[in-house]
Amino acid sequence: MKLMFNAILSSLMLVFSGITMAAGELNFYNWGNYTNPELIEKFEKETGIKVTITDYDSNETALAKVRAGGHGFDLAVPSHSHLPIWVSEGLIANARVDQMPNFKNVAEEWRNPDWDPGRQYSAPWQWGSVGVMVDTSVYSGDINTFGIILDPPEELIGKINVAPEMNDVISSALLYLGGEACSGDKALLKKVRDKLVEAKPKWKSMDYGVIEKFAGRDLAASLYWNGAAFRARLKNPDVRYGYPREGYSLWADAVVLLKDAKNVEEAKTFMNFIMAPENAGLISAFARYANSIVGSEKYMPEDMATAPEVVVPAEFIGAGKFYPTCSPEVQKIYTAIWTELQK
Amino acid sequence: MVIRPRPFSIKRMPGFSLLALACFFALYMPLAPLVVYSFNAGNNIALWEGLSLRWYVAAWENDLVQSAAIRSVVVATIASLIATVLATMAALGTTRTRPYRGQTSIYAMVNQPLMVPEIVTAVALLILFALIKESTGYHGYAYLVIAHTAFCIPFAYLPIRARLEGMDHVLETAAADLYATPWRTFTKVTLPLLLPGILAGAMLAFVISLDDVVITEFVKSAGQDTLPTYMLGQLRRNITPEINAISTVLLGVSVIMVTVIFFLSRKKT
Repeated sequence: MKLMFNAILSSLMLVFSGITMAAGELNFYNWGNYTNPELIEKFEKETGIKVTITDYDSNETALAKVRAGGHGFDLAVPSHSHLPIWVSEGLIANARVDQMPNFKNVAEEWRNPDWDPGRQYSAPWQWGSVGVMVDTSVYSGDINTFGIILDPPEELIGKINVAPEMNDVISSALLYLGGEACSGDKALLKKVRDKLVEAKPKWKSMDYGVIEKFAGRDLAASLYWNGAAFRARLKNPDVRYGYPREGYSLWADAVVLLKDAKNVEEAKTFMNFIMAPENAGLISAFARYANSIVGSEKYMPEDMATAPEVVVPAEFIGAGKFYPTCSPEVQKIYTAIWTELQK
Repeated sequence: MVIRPRPFSIKRMPGFSLLALACFFALYMPLAPLVVYSFNAGNNIALWEGLSLRWYVAAWENDLVQSAAIRSVVVATIASLIATVLATMAALGTTRTRPYRGQTSIYAMVNQPLMVPEIVTAVALLILFALIKESTGYHGYAYLVIAHTAFCIPFAYLPIRARLEGMDHVLETAAADLYATPWRTFTKVTLPLLLPGILAGAMLAFVISLDDVVITEFVKSAGQDTLPTYMLGQLRRNITPEINAISTVLLGVSVIMVTVIFFLSRKKT
């Protein structure tokens, strides 16, 4: 009760004071349920900087709030697809991440991504891929293809789920039919539309929250993300994650310093901090996605350090690619296909 | 003998009970699984593994949930108090006066937050507050309190106004006849009679503020997550029955308050 009273009192005091104190603070704006509390505790203990976390639920919300200004945040975590927009609109300060001491821990392939050339703006947070989950007790054939979803084998028909994410679904279909994501090739997009419309009756659902349904064996296949596939396998040992050979898309979320940040030094300290292997390991241990830091596996839970859903098997690395947000014209066609698919 | 025609009553229309039952079913059925799974012993919101209060304990012990809940209650309390005072004044100003030009438009303006889509208000406040935040450097709770007060006003106003309209002018006139000053009439006659309406309005405003997501999400500054925006942030990743437990508690609070409002504003027969 006393604790409660103190908390009420301090919130009341905040109402009247409000202005943030200058020294030793950091305001971190991140996706909800994405920041390991242990990571923050460790950072606060080591540096004496007090961290306040505020949640957002979509790239669009975060962009809107930061664009409007006056938000009071120092760091944010946009996805790779949106990061170039943040840069081009001048919302991000150049923190020269590439010159930070811990940058040496960033894996070679993550030092020069297309969406942040030279990696000056963003420190790696987590990344993952869009692939297929299959219950191998139902279907034991080749799972490394989007054919599982688009030309499903007999055993899987009626037991397939597709994540209700327009870009991921249509881009995957484009890759399956031999194109590139966000391709403006009308003839190919027509084929994509036909393929999706033809495949849809063989699906059971288009939904999130598949982990429980794989655990309960209600679903046998899904187009989904690797982290969820990993968690599903821990509940149903027959679940495997397939990396489509014909190409699949990757995503990454990265920490950036905002242009109007008040606590610039504290923010840079944090960016450097999360590139240390033991800290990156904590990030992954909580949200269960891979990071880009060499040596962080040692600090992850054992079941994760070797998981094929997290550590991409060598033969499939080349097929994964980052795709930017599509051009408005292509976006329009995507939306039209998507609308038709929802009918 | 005169046969008086029975007055029209919707209760005697054919199929009334059936339709009413169907409506209640549609309203409350979706909530049932949410509540049931909040008592699940397992980690899952779709697989039943036995009865337990573990998620209520988990939510209660979660620091983030605690601070978000306290923040929600503090903001809702302050906002609903201010909104109720303003709404009471507005209700008096639109009922206890001689009819004047523009009375209806004032009524419409007070109720504006009910008509304007929430997202429009949210975006408008985001832009306006961003300007103020930038020029003053103040990032405190005042923005949330102001925003919540604004959209709570009509919810407090409607029950207060309804009560005022149902109250007999004769009592106030009698008080004036007996040489009571207007202020004395107000404190001794109008206010005591109006009190149930004011309490109902305040509680309704409190519940509305407690449940708000959209406007809060756009207006909140660093570290100002309320319980609903905290819950929204959780949904993206792994949903555990902890969210069900928090939702059930919120639902319980809302139901209790609405029930109290019902008894407060019920007409005595």
